Amino acid sequence: MSELASFPAAATNAAPPRSGPRSFAPQSGFSPWNDPSQAPIVRFDNVTKQFGDFVAVKSCTLDIYEREFFALLGPSGCGKSTLLRMLAGFEQPTDGRIMVQGQDITALPPYERSDVNMMFQSYALFPHMTVERNIGFGLRQEGMPKGEIAARVEEAMAMVELKPFANRKPNQLSGGQQQRVALARAIAKKPRIMLLDEPLGALDKKLRQQAQFELMRIQESTGTTFIIVTHDQEEAMTVASRIAVMDKGNIIQVATPNDIYETPKSRYVAGFIGDVNVLEGKVSGIADGIIDIEGAVSGCHYKTRSNEPVSIGQQVWLAIRPEKVRITHDKPQSATNVVSGKVDDVGYLGSISHYHVKIGNGQRVTALRANTAMTVGPPISWEDDVWMDWPTEAGIILTS
Amino acid sequence: MRRWYVIAAPYIWLLLFFLVPFFIVFKLSLSDTARAMPPYVPVYDMTLGLANFFSQLDFENYSFLLSDPLYINAYISSLKIAAVATLFTLFVGYPIAYGMARAPREWRPTLMMLVILPFWTSFLIRVYAWIGILKKEGLLNLFLMNYGIITEPLNIMNTTTAVYIGIVYSYLPFMILPLYSSLEKISPALNEAAEDLGSPPWRAFWQVTFPLSMPGVIAGCLLVFIPATGEFVIPDLLGGSETLMIGKTLWSEFFNNSDWPVSSAVAVVLLLALVVPIVVFQRAQQREREAV
Repeated sequence: MSELASFPAAATNAAPPRSGPRSFAPQSGFSPWNDPSQAPIVRFDNVTKQFGDFVAVKSCTLDIYEREFFALLGPSGCGKSTLLRMLAGFEQPTDGRIMVQGQDITALPPYERSDVNMMFQSYALFPHMTVERNIGFGLRQEGMPKGEIAARVEEAMAMVELKPFANRKPNQLSGGQQQRVALARAIAKKPRIMLLDEPLGALDKKLRQQAQFELMRIQESTGTTFIIVTHDQEEAMTVASRIAVMDKGNIIQVATPNDIYETPKSRYVAGFIGDVNVLEGKVSGIADGIIDIEGAVSGCHYKTRSNEPVSIGQQVWLAIRPEKVRITHDKPQSATNVVSGKVDDVGYLGSISHYHVKIGNGQRVTALRANTAMTVGPPISWEDDVWMDWPTEAGIILTS
Repeated sequence: MRRWYVIAAPYIWLLLFFLVPFFIVFKLSLSDTARAMPPYVPVYDMTLGLANFFSQLDFENYSFLLSDPLYINAYISSLKIAAVATLFTLFVGYPIAYGMARAPREWRPTLMMLVILPFWTSFLIRVYAWIGILKKEGLLNLFLMNYGIITEPLNIMNTTTAVYIGIVYSYLPFMILPLYSSLEKISPALNEAAEDLGSPPWRAFWQVTFPLSMPGVIAGCLLVFIPATGEFVIPDLLGGSETLMIGKTLWSEFFNNSDWPVSSAVAVVLLLALVVPIVVFQRAQQREREAV
């Protein structure tokens, strides 16, 4: 049986796939993090973890709310897995407290944290047990009656379409099937909080996208709080209600995918999520919510709408997403936010094209253009002299 | 053609150094004792022909073995001592192997070296050294009496207990190495998963670690049990008159009584008694290979 054939539930019974990052935007109504009356289900309170001299997590404070699909995003070694493993109980924080539903669980061993279950990156399936025995393992530890275990295992297997494989051993399953056994084994315990450590890292791209929607479907239908660790920004954007971007043991920004993309707090976050052009400059004027910037590239002047508290003369960076940059052969009418340069490279990706343009100081600015029939004028090609501009709303002021 | 040689080499080796000697011993076991050189009849004589030679062979020695309780008791006692000693070796070896498998990666080669280190000294000398430890005025009694733990010296030397100690000591590496190799393959994530699913560490051990180390347990037990059953040096040096083991019986039959035919029969029966565990061992190995 092929991977695709064994995934019918994802295609048919599933709730209609949400359209990526915007699904949890404030207008959908789900934003407990903005509601002061809501108590978080998980709270990291000034948590620090040191391994010898190495500080894996630096006094992190983080609230996660019930029914959230929360993503910890960052490059390898940023401390995201350590944070998750501390919540599961495999690592003890060097300092700080971890609260679940208002109770301090910092000192509890993993087997006494019944609200929390984890799905492992390596799946950690028990090789000597069948799929059925694997999924029932956690329930047998509770001393649950046999009949009830069978029913719960059945339910979990149905949820991930594993019934035909009930009596197989893990080594007789494909990677995608093993991943679903690992998921079912944790979900069978009906935890309030489900931890997923790079759960889809071992799958190929196509399977991974299916599995992401599968995870979202299960998260919604069970109402469980999911916390996922991933280094794949696209994955985080797709599944998460909120994302915490981490770097070197610090949480840099916690926000919805939409906010992270549109209003990153630093150059690090802007660069980690999607492509971005960063232009250096100094603040030269502030008026009516419009900030004037004297570009580091001589003759370049930028204007951008921002509430960022900056002062005249302060060094700032202007971040502009490539899809917001317009590229033309002719000089645009407006005088602000205009730069000229020579096309250095063109990346044709079918539906869209990337144009890498060298401007004044040798810096490259990328513009993105959809390849629609509406595009007028001669095609832009290598070595062409071009103009680029963007609206005052497109630029984001970054101070760090 | 070259490939044929490669495949044939181990079979020729087995034929020359196992099968041929075995048939010589088997033939001896069917012969009768004689006051002669060599001390048995018949010796194949071309002038009398094959028919005459075979007519003189019989299973008399085997029926003698079965009729004399001395031999049966020696077999049973050997199997019992070997089985008990194997269990003790498992109890001592398992924690050591487990500790090695869970030790930091950079320590493991050193720990492995320490396990193998005793092999650099002669087996005979190491067993002899135990006499110095276990005898009445030996190191163990001196130590215990010096610290007032006992007042009368323990009587260990020349008892079956000394034989157990000797076997456990001598065969421990054969238990540790296969155990270590199967324990090392078990991912620590499996224990974490078990704990995450609500299983305290000791229960996770019995539900996950121990079943997964079973191939190592079986291999280690057979590697200890098989040679321990036929062990001669340890019971001879450390055991007393009450320690009855087939290896010793065989030795005295051969050297003291010069009864080559009966001792050959003893050896053949011992071999048959061990073929069963060897087959079990190979089956277990087969299963482990198929499981991977």
